[in-house]
Amino acid sequence: MTKRLMMGNEAFAFAALEAGVRVVAGYPGTPSSELIETVAHEKAEGRAEGVHVEWSANEKVALELLASASYSGARCLFTCKQVGLNVASDALMSLNYVGVKGGLVLFVADDPGPISSQTEQDTRRFAQFAKVPVLDPCTPEQGYDMIKAAFELSEKYLTPVIVRATTRVCHASTFIEVPEQTSPKVVPGFEKDSRWVIFPKRSYEAHGEINERLRDIQSDFSLKEPYKNFNSSHTFTSLQSGHPDQDTTARKGIVAGGISVGYVQEACTLIRKIADDHSIAVPTFSLMQVGTPYPFPSRAIAAYSEWVEEILVFEELDSVIEDSLYELIGKQTISAQIFGKATGTTQDRGENTIYKTAETIALFLGLEEIVGTELSILERGIYGDAESAPDLPPRPPVLCAGCPHRKSFYTIKRALKDMKQPGILSGDIGCYTLGNALPLDMVDTCLCMGAGISMAQGFSLVEPNKKNVAFIGDSTFFASGLSSIANAVYNQHDICIVVLDNSTTAMTGSQPHPGTGQTLMGTTSTPIDIEQVLRALGISHIGFADSNNFESSKKVAIDALKFEGPSAIIFKEPCVGLIAPKEIAEVDSSACIMCRKCITEIGCPALRTSADETEMVIDTSLCIGCALCVEICPTKALQVGVRQ
Amino acid sequence: MINILLTGVGGQGTVLAAKVLAQAAHEKGWQVRTAETIGMAQRGGSVVSHVRIADKNGHTIDPLIPHGCADLIIGFEPGESVRVLPYLAREGTIVTACETVQPIMASLQKEIYSSEGLVSYLSNSLTDSQRKRFLAVETKPYCEQLKTSKVLNTLLLASAIGFVDVGISLEDLRHAYKACVKPSLLSVNLQAIELVANERV
Repeated sequence: MTKRLMMGNEAFAFAALEAGVRVVAGYPGTPSSELIETVAHEKAEGRAEGVHVEWSANEKVALELLASASYSGARCLFTCKQVGLNVASDALMSLNYVGVKGGLVLFVADDPGPISSQTEQDTRRFAQFAKVPVLDPCTPEQGYDMIKAAFELSEKYLTPVIVRATTRVCHASTFIEVPEQTSPKVVPGFEKDSRWVIFPKRSYEAHGEINERLRDIQSDFSLKEPYKNFNSSHTFTSLQSGHPDQDTTARKGIVAGGISVGYVQEACTLIRKIADDHSIAVPTFSLMQVGTPYPFPSRAIAAYSEWVEEILVFEELDSVIEDSLYELIGKQTISAQIFGKATGTTQDRGENTIYKTAETIALFLGLEEIVGTELSILERGIYGDAESAPDLPPRPPVLCAGCPHRKSFYTIKRALKDMKQPGILSGDIGCYTLGNALPLDMVDTCLCMGAGISMAQGFSLVEPNKKNVAFIGDSTFFASGLSSIANAVYNQHDICIVVLDNSTTAMTGSQPHPGTGQTLMGTTSTPIDIEQVLRALGISHIGFADSNNFESSKKVAIDALKFEGPSAIIFKEPCVGLIAPKEIAEVDSSACIMCRKCITEIGCPALRTSADETEMVIDTSLCIGCALCVEICPTKALQVGVRQ
Repeated sequence: MINILLTGVGGQGTVLAAKVLAQAAHEKGWQVRTAETIGMAQRGGSVVSHVRIADKNGHTIDPLIPHGCADLIIGFEPGESVRVLPYLAREGTIVTACETVQPIMASLQKEIYSSEGLVSYLSNSLTDSQRKRFLAVETKPYCEQLKTSKVLNTLLLASAIGFVDVGISLEDLRHAYKACVKPSLLSVNLQAIELVANERV
């Protein structure tokens, strides 16, 4: 075992390896992607023996693949982000009824905020719907223990088990002790059993088994190690050396789950410090984490709330813990007044913040006097706040300098302009969603993975006089584009599919996919050819853009856009993250007329005006010499040459 | 507990800098917890890294630094330094790079985005006593001398720990870089540390 700095996701990979995982599969999705990358890295370094790890074409395929490995007795790990679970949901719902054999753990990363997702859906709620147990860590260390426990739980009760972490746990780093060499548990092999085939009669029986095991698991969560430690004040008290915040006979209690446990701990420390500074007494209260939100640890909560009359609940996303407490009140298992989202006491969306948490706790404890003064001063910032700062322009993520998508979007934009025909541009999920930003403004809709192609078809029915264009990246193409394309051909929709092939799954950190041919096992397969797939699906008109010839690409685009019926254009140029730049742009200031079209037309981040506004300046650390600006410049003041 | 906030533009190396600080703290036997913005924000967006260093007793499980609690802010870009000013603690220190990275919104709207304006705003926001704990670092000459801008993180870390005592020495920093970067990149990072060390002398 060695102690290394790692983020939660990396630690969780080691936990699974230590538990003897045999097959690991998933699809990239922030904030989950680093787990599979870590397993792949350990495999490549020869430390994770005997493990198969892959990026599957999508989450549904991944989970189905793992299901059969699990039936054969292999321990399996699935990873995805919360919206990725939606894609795998059909498999998960059935799998729960069939049951597993080798432990099957689903690591699902939720994204409060959201920071980079379409929704703030709560996987704990999904677990309730799916009737699958879920563990919810508050730190990377606890998540490590939970992953290991999850495999045991899964095999004991023949149930899939979800471990759900959120961004601040996934991407928080600390030093964690991990095994250096691991190997999988022995796999007994597939044995025929009628339970592997899901039939309605079997489902009825299985439903009974599910209900029964959930009762047993619920009991384990309250009474058995290690679960009972996940549902206790253990996390809080282990940090409070000499600070007895914990008073188990207090009338007021705070219950928290996930990263909010950390926010509560920090808030209590802050409140105590301010109170001490002002000689204000802090009333006693008790603290509890709920680390296994479903099935809900009722007995542990009942024991905790024996003395408690008021409970303040902190959790992000849905009111899962809060609703469970209301349920217990309804069943008369506990009696207390609950303060949380339903009462408007805590945030009903977004990430919890330390100050909101501290303010809410202070009010809950009757410490109004510290709220208005010290807490709000700190929250605003002692030395500056939003109001008095100079107007700082926002700095959202943008397409990188030299990103091939910029050229692709601009080509379609100019093509539509030349055709004097309005277009509706259905975008999709990936780096190319950023084509929405000014000045390109080339994304009119974005819904979910693979939706662009389907949505263009819907638009074509109600807006037949507009050009209905769909953009899709190469990874999204394989993940969820294929059925949409089949539909366009089969149901005869007049759309133009623009494939943005940059040879990687870029936004999530550059992962391979079926179109690249590289795998995480170090082998290569023949890349699946997008053109051939399009033809096989019945797209008869396919245009090919030439990354070195803007005018020719524009003409290709116009031809495809004019085609009646489903057509496609393929833009194929590698992501700038994959290449070493050999060229760079240069400005000839004598030819430059400062029209600034290079900025206003394409918004390249490597170009700006000089401080005295007399010339254009190229950021040599960003420019890769894509030469799109050379195309734009009306006076040929921009040229691309070999990098020195 | 020492709270260090690093901020900059995606791609400038804030994540590496956080790793290096964490490594240095760990080698001194301290507890460390960090949090990053990664993923979407990398694409030239604002990024922030939180580094929280404590001894056994002060350890926290919360990886995010609250407003008004950052003992040290290291800004890789002056606009981003301004953006995180609410995090600065009463006795905190700001170390900022002077070189700007123009946000596209500023370019499109023809807004003035000047290094001088941003750096002087930072300085003016502080009290007189606080201003002694403000350092603006002209990183451009160093980067030109070393023929790379990839050592921005090294230059800023070395400048910061030389300017304010967070219990990490230049030697600790060298050790940490050895553990954190590929051998082929170590030399230029050590040279960057030397340039800053010599400047101070």
